[in-house]
Amino acid sequence: MNIARLNRNLTSRILTKSRSLATTAVTAPQQEDDEYSATPQYPPILDLSVEKKLERKRATKSDEIRNAKTVEEKQLKINMPRYYGFKSFMFFEEHIPYNSLSLAQHVTRTHLIKTKDLPEYYQNIDVEDLEIISKDVQETLLMEIDGIQRQHHLKNADFTDVQKENYLGSSIVKSINRALNNVLVHKYPHIVNNEMDLDPRIESSWVVGGMDPDESIKKMRGGHEFLKQFKNDPVDKTFSYVGSPSLTIRAELPLPYVLSPSEADNPSLDVPFFEYDPRVLGMGVEYRHAANIPGFWPGDSHTFGLTSYLQTGHLLERVKHFPDVNDTKEASHHQAILSSYAWLHSQANHLGFTTFNDITYPMVTQTVLTNGKDFQFYIYQLNTILLHSKNTTENPKRNICWASDEYKLYEGIQEGKLIGFNEEVLKNLVKLYSNAPSERLGVNLRPYLSQEEKLAADYEDEDKRRWLEKEYKFLTSNRPRLKELDEVYAWEKIYKVDHKTRLMDKKRRFFELFEKPWTRTLDARLPEYIPRALRPDLPRHKGRRAKEYWP
Amino acid sequence: MSTRWYPIYQKTGPQLRVFLPNFWMKLIRTTEKQPKNIVQFSCSMQMTQFDIKNYLEKIYNVKTVDIRTRIALGKTRKDPGNGYVIKEDDAKYAYVTLPKGEEFQFPDLYPDENKDKEDYEKSLEQTKQGYKDYLEKNKGRPGMPGWFTI
Repeated sequence: MNIARLNRNLTSRILTKSRSLATTAVTAPQQEDDEYSATPQYPPILDLSVEKKLERKRATKSDEIRNAKTVEEKQLKINMPRYYGFKSFMFFEEHIPYNSLSLAQHVTRTHLIKTKDLPEYYQNIDVEDLEIISKDVQETLLMEIDGIQRQHHLKNADFTDVQKENYLGSSIVKSINRALNNVLVHKYPHIVNNEMDLDPRIESSWVVGGMDPDESIKKMRGGHEFLKQFKNDPVDKTFSYVGSPSLTIRAELPLPYVLSPSEADNPSLDVPFFEYDPRVLGMGVEYRHAANIPGFWPGDSHTFGLTSYLQTGHLLERVKHFPDVNDTKEASHHQAILSSYAWLHSQANHLGFTTFNDITYPMVTQTVLTNGKDFQFYIYQLNTILLHSKNTTENPKRNICWASDEYKLYEGIQEGKLIGFNEEVLKNLVKLYSNAPSERLGVNLRPYLSQEEKLAADYEDEDKRRWLEKEYKFLTSNRPRLKELDEVYAWEKIYKVDHKTRLMDKKRRFFELFEKPWTRTLDARLPEYIPRALRPDLPRHKGRRAKEYWP
Repeated sequence: MSTRWYPIYQKTGPQLRVFLPNFWMKLIRTTEKQPKNIVQFSCSMQMTQFDIKNYLEKIYNVKTVDIRTRIALGKTRKDPGNGYVIKEDDAKYAYVTLPKGEEFQFPDLYPDENKDKEDYEKSLEQTKQGYKDYLEKNKGRPGMPGWFTI
């Protein structure tokens, strides 16, 4: 029997192959001149060691992310490897483990400078008419505190001390902010253009290298003939931060930097190295998508943060567990460093930089830790966000945080008057407000975003716009997947994995099929189904699934 | 007070009343690499974090800052004769954080034993190397007895 009659596809495949062979044979003499050159051209000689191979792989990954056109596509691209999210070490703003400052500094590559006052840069800012401002602020403070104490729900027993403190603090912050804006707006016109957010959601994810692998990884590597030699090599870890300042102020332009970029390379700015697994301090691990939310969505014109006010109510509860005064101070530093870094990092992500593509210019933010009475000022300059793999040790740039002492704005209230009002604190606050954002001359603020399309909203194709928006919002929503990550049940671990006692059972579970559900990629799913009534007039089997636009 | 079961005392019977505490803590070497101010204990299952704190502070006068516990699943193994699966008991582990600046190093309990072990390993290594050299020397002459050449 003829083979062609057995399988039609087969014959067509054979025919096309032979046809292509025939064409090359005919055209070969003509191409001969083009194919050969006078000097031989060899492909580049590559170092084939495992280390170099990995480095090249990382470089391609970062290039791919950099080449993604828009902010949303870059974020999708980062998340492509994991359908169920990355295994992330979680930093929650209000949960600060004991003795964890070195960890916070290590994962953000921050050099901490403890000063009495604001850094030198702020000493050049003049503050005039402090008396008028002081009068206004004192009046507002008295009004606010009096007003809050009259409020019925604060006397409610359901309100914990922490909630009361946070409520009082954020109300005072809001009123001080309003008073200062009103007074200073005449003198500093940039204040008019500022945007303000109340209780914004700040989330950020980044990758840090250089930490020791845990026992399970060591065990896995040790059992593999080839991986044995890399048993103790450091691993990359994903960290996520979740927090919510009480108030943030942002502008269209960045703040001028405090230290020049070249000074940030100074090796004398030491950063502690935290070599242990972060779980030794009691940190938790969750499966989470890498979400970067600076309190606003892509497309907002005010993408540069100026000042954020953080709440300190949680310290009341923390002091009960850890009464160490020095540790409480360090906890404040921990909170300020992580919050400042996470906010700036997520802003950088909205400018087209990612944890794999470093920022090209420094960014600065001002952070105030306050409960309405005690004030602590932090200035944070972000010089690098490249911390993965070897960069933890080899990246010469460091981020810098200046931490001031703790000051009391006032001592107390007696007979409707503020006692011991500290004008120095007010002066510092005014300096933060008067520090005007300015244009960076000759610096492209969004070098890694495409010229035509900077956001998904810039695409002309409406279907693509909708699809990108939907996928991006899902990643940032932190909603669980409809089908949860598979697990090995305890009985399966005993009777199927550890001891093969059920040989007659059908092998249907993932661990029997050699599948790893946690390595499922973001696009490993069927595209959305389009009902027949909504499809164009095509044959029945065509156009069932919607088009997808993975970056 | 112990909750252990003892045989009821009969006249002329042996005195079996040895009261052992239910609460015990055993200092163990950390499995994962830990900061120097964290100490790992294996403790009795009933002990809570408060019990552990009080135990260390009241009996041994050790100040603690933070205590975290976990219950580890006991290992399973097959009965060698009958083939059914046996599970060992679960165990509770406590990770005790000492105040900042304090350090704890797990003591070297059997220094002599370690030395003996090292000597043994050294001699074993030497023997192995000697055999390797012998094989290398006689590579080209398979099957030749060892006494044939010097």
